[in-house]
Amino acid sequence: MLFRILKNSFLKRPKAVFLVFLSIAMGAAVATAFLGIAGEVSHKMALELRSYGANILLEPSAVEGGGFLREEDLPKIKTVFWKYNITGFTPYLFGIAEFSAGGKKERGVVSGTWFARQLEVPGEDPSVQGIKGIAPWWEVEGRWPEAADESIVGAALAKRLNVVPGGDVTTTVRGRTQQLRIVGVVTTGGYEEEQLFAPLVTVQSLLQQQGKISRVLVSALTVPMDDFGKKDPATMSKDEYEKWYCTAYVTSVAKNVEEVMAGSRAKPIWQIASAEGALLKKLNSVMLLLTVLALGASATAVSTSLMASMAERSPEIALMKAVGADRLQISAIFVGETLIISVAGGIVGYLLGDQLAGIISRTVFNSPISSPLWLFPTAIISAFAVAIAGSVAPLRRALLIEPVRVLKG
Amino acid sequence: MVSAIIETSGLTRNYGDICALKPIDLIVPEGEWLSVMGHSGSGKSTLMNLVGGLDRPSNGSLRVGGEDLLALSEDGLARFRREFVGIIFQQHHLVPYLTAVENVMLAQYFHSVPDEAEARSALERVGLGHRLKNRPGELSGGEQQRVCIARAIINSPKLLLGDEPTGNLDHKSTVMVMELLKELRAEERFTVIMVTHNQEVAAWGDRTIYLDDGVLVREERMKS
Amino acid sequence: MVAVKLIPHILSWAGIVLVLLRGFPGRRSVVTLTSISGFVIGVTGTFILFRSYPGTIPFGIVKSALGVSFLFLWGISVAVIYRSTGRGVSIFRGERLVNTSLCAGVVACLASMVAGAVCACRLPATDSTALTFILLALAAGALAYTLAYAALAFDKLLSPSYTVTLTGMLVAVVALLLCSSSSVLRLDLFSPLSMKVMKGVHDFVHQFMESILIPDHLFVRSYVWNYIGLLFGKEVGFWGGMVIWFTPAFLIALAIRFERLPSVAHIRQGAQRRTLLAAAIAKRRYRLVIPVLSVAVFAAAAYQSRFPSVEYWDPKPLPVTASPAGEIFIPKKGEIDLEDGKLHKYLFKQGGREARFFVLMTPEGRLTVDLDACAICKPDGYGQAEGSVICYYCKTLIPLDTVGKPGGCNPVPVAFTEKSDGVVIDGMALINSWGSTVQATARVKEGGK
Repeated sequence: MLFRILKNSFLKRPKAVFLVFLSIAMGAAVATAFLGIAGEVSHKMALELRSYGANILLEPSAVEGGGFLREEDLPKIKTVFWKYNITGFTPYLFGIAEFSAGGKKERGVVSGTWFARQLEVPGEDPSVQGIKGIAPWWEVEGRWPEAADESIVGAALAKRLNVVPGGDVTTTVRGRTQQLRIVGVVTTGGYEEEQLFAPLVTVQSLLQQQGKISRVLVSALTVPMDDFGKKDPATMSKDEYEKWYCTAYVTSVAKNVEEVMAGSRAKPIWQIASAEGALLKKLNSVMLLLTVLALGASATAVSTSLMASMAERSPEIALMKAVGADRLQISAIFVGETLIISVAGGIVGYLLGDQLAGIISRTVFNSPISSPLWLFPTAIISAFAVAIAGSVAPLRRALLIEPVRVLKG
Repeated sequence: MVSAIIETSGLTRNYGDICALKPIDLIVPEGEWLSVMGHSGSGKSTLMNLVGGLDRPSNGSLRVGGEDLLALSEDGLARFRREFVGIIFQQHHLVPYLTAVENVMLAQYFHSVPDEAEARSALERVGLGHRLKNRPGELSGGEQQRVCIARAIINSPKLLLGDEPTGNLDHKSTVMVMELLKELRAEERFTVIMVTHNQEVAAWGDRTIYLDDGVLVREERMKS
Repeated sequence: MVAVKLIPHILSWAGIVLVLLRGFPGRRSVVTLTSISGFVIGVTGTFILFRSYPGTIPFGIVKSALGVSFLFLWGISVAVIYRSTGRGVSIFRGERLVNTSLCAGVVACLASMVAGAVCACRLPATDSTALTFILLALAAGALAYTLAYAALAFDKLLSPSYTVTLTGMLVAVVALLLCSSSSVLRLDLFSPLSMKVMKGVHDFVHQFMESILIPDHLFVRSYVWNYIGLLFGKEVGFWGGMVIWFTPAFLIALAIRFERLPSVAHIRQGAQRRTLLAAAIAKRRYRLVIPVLSVAVFAAAAYQSRFPSVEYWDPKPLPVTASPAGEIFIPKKGEIDLEDGKLHKYLFKQGGREARFFVLMTPEGRLTVDLDACAICKPDGYGQAEGSVICYYCKTLIPLDTVGKPGGCNPVPVAFTEKSDGVVIDGMALINSWGSTVQATARVKEGGK
């Protein structure tokens, strides 16, 4: 019976129902869009942070003159105090090169690195080091390079060069040429997609930089920074320094690694990321605030239109009361009505909001967005919240209607 | 001796400073058809609303069917209305978006559970078997009033209240409605209280009381 | 601290008593008394079990009791749903026994025993003397008495119209037991259940389908392979476990929902007939409350099992002794399986000195024995997290496969000889190694924090 009442009431008053539906759908759409973007932004940020997997960056300490690190120092990383907390590292050597494939010519970065290299260190267990270990999220279409003349190419560069796995790229640096076979196209979600990756030895001979590397990324298990960890080691007492040194803060591990790589400076990568993180956090709270405001506005709209329709429907409510409906039964009818509208509004709002988020993301952030699964329940719940918040005042009014006055007219 | 279904003593209703009903003592025996007459504003509708549990008295005592209406909460009054009272209004007052049968079922729903077959047979009993699926807008005044009657008697009330049920009807429909009520009363044996300003309608009852300015001025028993 | 941990278990027992009181109206005194005695028996009995069979055996017993109760619930639920389809089948011959005080007493006693046993599993292992035993029994009795009477008082407050069917009562009791036990890692049923489901599905696919599903099979297109691939996903176990977990409660709720309403056709007056019908529907709705709540309790149990509040696996150190030759022997199999990939802690005392150490099988299958302390930190010990152990002092995570190697904040390795049936450690060397390590680290003060 309840559903029969609701169905007929919807069919009879499409305009009023549509108005409420629209307010709820708008609220849910805005909530979905904003929360979706906020969620995506933090997700992207998390990926970005993880995409360094790596949390320590080793660079030559001589800033000018493009200094280099020595490849022969690399095995020492596995011998430092925190060696067991260092889960992997990868050296890189960069150079600008001319790529040509199938008549196309492009300038780009050629990057020499280890993919998965067996590393033997005297007195330590052999281990495998390289990109494969510290960047497990890299998606390689094709396979990883194995021979010295094989390489993988970033997705963006591959598009520009129009190469697919199996093709060849001729790499030219200052007149020296190296033929490289593409065995895979890599998607990383980062700047790496603009580069071509080849084995370190190959690039070293191409760039005439034998035994040299330009940076090392180290990935270490670390303890989250706390107040003690942020203290400047230089100002610590001996005991404090000892404790700091033997706690696996990213800074202490970085210092550890720096000591064994001659002429290097280690930077914890969180320092780079945390500035961005703070900004994104602010952006997220703004988004959250906007969402709350939008939901509040749409609750107000729902409340207003329900109030209006309540005035119009007061004879009907009075009649129901006269026939013997108690407060629970009256509430069931009106709350049920709003809840059904809110489910529909929530679904439509979700679909709209999803599109909206896509559009905003494309125009403002210039990146596509993937909508996570939790957005759907969020949209429905926010629609419910709007509906319930918006129907409190009208319902109170409905329950206060005195049948005698209204029916007598 | 038939027991009393309604007993009031010193029943008063004020709306602010206006006294709509001066203290009234009234006893209605079970099964009686009581007509209440008076000019508009004489307090006859107020009396009916009080007896039907739609309004609360300002003072006095009011017992209907053994229940003290002053002691009931708002939801208690609602329960009283749906289980004990059937009400027919002057302006039909049907839910506009529900069909005739659904309007009857609404009363069933508030009372307990809806039963469509029973609602249909109730409408057939008032002679509307052919208009079950019509909405109030598609029914004539007399037909609407008959839907109201079907709705009022669907929960087998002990007390049927009519607030000028024929006020908007022409003579022919009035007679039809009154005949129907008389028939139903013979079957169901409910007590009727009918508010009217039409002498002819009042004459259908067993007893007529006259109200003027909230005071019971005269009482008249019909010869049968 | 222990008391706080016990609160949810004791509350769920009180809930069980309340449901039982509702389920056996008119047998209040029997239910109350048997519940109290069952609880005390459960607590003390499990305590004795722990004393006579150290290690995992008592857990196994309690866990099997829980498993049996869940299976029993399954059987009951299938039976009631089958009966609710209207088939006049007599499932249980002694059905008229169900509402006797004997049955009420037995059910109350059994449920309370299991609840008490779960509580006892949370108690810390102490050196048990007769005195502690008597104290424990008294404490359990007093606690049970208070709570049972609180439940009784609450039950009297509730309106008699909130009835509970027998099946509703059973599902609530089992749900509360499982919810109570799911927070104890070793009693948890849901996670092993989903593991079993996953394994079962994989074995099934392997053994029965491999023959027809060779990759190049004519009728198996590539998209079919995608669906088959789903069977191997991580989620299979979880969702399969969920289905098995929730089905009995759902079936029982369904059976109640489809209970026949009383026949009212003989009543001629419509209003009266409908009033009776409405009352019957309202009553049925009340009876549905408990099964629906039980679904929520089951969900809570699954959640606790899926996201255990215990962050690190950190067993209590088991005391070990050395042979006259000064050697400590720890068997590989027995009450503790050394090769299960978990941290097993032991405590060795000799001549007023003691050493804490643990045995762990690393992911690559190498047994290692280490001090429960590292060379640099205060000896706060280690706990095991996923894929690593954590040093409680400096909160450093150490990858599991590097445990057993010296250096950093890794636990200090201890020399040992591995035999086919266990490991042998030299007691004196252990004590000395602990002594020198702790001495070296004792000077590290609580700097900074």
